[in-house]
Amino acid sequence: MKTITRRDLLKKTAVAAAGSAVLLNSPVEAWANAQQAKTKVVLVRHQQLFAKGDSPDPDVARQMLDQAVCTLTGQKDAAAAWKTIVKPTDVLGIKTNNWNKLPTPAILEEIVKERVLAAGVAQENVSIGDRGVLSDPVFQKSTALINIRPMRTHAWSGVGTLMKNYIMFSPAPSSYHPDSCASLATLFDLPEVKGKSRLHILAMFTPQFHHLAPSQFSEEYIWKYSGLLMGFDPVAVDSIGLRIIEAKRTEYFKEYTPLNPPAKHIALADTKYHLGTADPSKIELVKLGWDADSFV
Amino acid sequence: MLFPVITVTAQNPVDRLPEQIRTYRLAERVAYNADNLFDYINGGAEMYLSYGLTGMKGCRYVADGQPDVAADVYEMTEAKNAFGIYTQTRDREEYAYGQGSVTHRDAVMFWKDRYFVIIATVKATPQSEEAVKQLASLIDKAISGKGEIPGVIASLPSEGLAAAGHLYFHHYIWLNAYYFIADYNILNIDATTDAVLAKYGAPESRIYLLLVEYPGREAAAKACKQLKGKFAPAAEPDTAVQLEDKSWFTVWTKDHQLGAIFNGSSREATEQLYRAAKTKM
Repeated sequence: MKTITRRDLLKKTAVAAAGSAVLLNSPVEAWANAQQAKTKVVLVRHQQLFAKGDSPDPDVARQMLDQAVCTLTGQKDAAAAWKTIVKPTDVLGIKTNNWNKLPTPAILEEIVKERVLAAGVAQENVSIGDRGVLSDPVFQKSTALINIRPMRTHAWSGVGTLMKNYIMFSPAPSSYHPDSCASLATLFDLPEVKGKSRLHILAMFTPQFHHLAPSQFSEEYIWKYSGLLMGFDPVAVDSIGLRIIEAKRTEYFKEYTPLNPPAKHIALADTKYHLGTADPSKIELVKLGWDADSFV
Repeated sequence: MLFPVITVTAQNPVDRLPEQIRTYRLAERVAYNADNLFDYINGGAEMYLSYGLTGMKGCRYVADGQPDVAADVYEMTEAKNAFGIYTQTRDREEYAYGQGSVTHRDAVMFWKDRYFVIIATVKATPQSEEAVKQLASLIDKAISGKGEIPGVIASLPSEGLAAAGHLYFHHYIWLNAYYFIADYNILNIDATTDAVLAKYGAPESRIYLLLVEYPGREAAAKACKQLKGKFAPAAEPDTAVQLEDKSWFTVWTKDHQLGAIFNGSSREATEQLYRAAKTKM
């Protein structure tokens, strides 16, 4: 396996000139898809998402999701957009994340379900699941997956990502742990997953940018970013999410404070496993709505 | 990786916790070992395993209308490993509990002897905060022993060392904790090595010092050759070299120990830290 040191990165003129500490902490050497067209990622933020308190406003969340899916698909309205993502014959698993301290916002699950039902998918052919996906009859016979989770720091993989959200499709999740979860991209080769992903949504409503101990959660280390990221390429979406988390850490700690360990699985998903694009210069980031302190 | 085989202590400080803490009552006891800790904290278990976990026990307390409070006590093979986990988690120097602690409104963490302790609530309320503190005190008192800080820490020069700015480890994954060095085990760090990463200087001009103690001189020399070969093959002994990003770097060995300095802002600053570290090694 090819290895990378800081010196290897510094020898690459462009990286050295950019002096990007974020790039260096994510061990990105040479991006795999240099000739590929840019992959689109949509970031929607809304200043009023938490205007009514600590719970997201359902109407604002619905508006954000609709805006994102229309922009991503190029459709004029949400109904048309969702019809490009699912078809009535689909059996759909909505892979969520139920970590009790920072789960996928329930309102996002609800809205996605509403929209796919409206697009014609039968009620009995839709299931929302996390840990039980391997025994869930809908997931077992699924033809399509929609992947939704919040982003948070993680004590072993650097960050909990869309890619990592598929780890529950493995009967042995810990087999993906070696080398700080470097091979998470290979989850997309599992038969339960391969070729089925239709949409990836990274909830950035209240991302967690730091933790003190594994699985530790503190309200001190989340903030109301009030956004969501959406795309067809999970690596690209995770890559943008990572940049936001890294930037927030620098702001909060008042010095560059890398993730520990680095989220190497995002870079390797591009350079080694060719699942998608992590290189920011190959990502078309479309930003909608509130822009203050967006960090990207 | 291999850790010394020791007998797991049947008695864990959690066993002595009472059924009631003011309005909170004991609702659940849990116990896990190195083979099944994933069932409790998923991938987060890997950090404890990288420091040689032997087992953990925990209690969850509940109270009507209040957030739950959980107390988890992780037992490690050696005290230095509990210290290592503490250096991963602390964000300030504090000694309110055990041999070093971190206190937030919603959590207390500390290390003492071979134990790393976390007491936490999902949401801080006056009642849950009080329960967290009481549990921390009870567990602190229940651990009678004290652990020794690993010897490699004593080799860190004190001048310029950032507060709460050093991390002890012996798994290569933590090599990049402060600064990306390599995405593989370039220094052959494993359970037989003791390593410490340290931050020096002001935040805007951080210098990073890495010290590693190997089982013998040959192992230290081999690691030094590998790092030097990748970072500065032509470097002269006892001098710092400038890299492409204008930062200064040096690596050396002294007996069975290796030292390296990264991100030096000037030759003088780098060589000054080098001399101070080599003298203490």
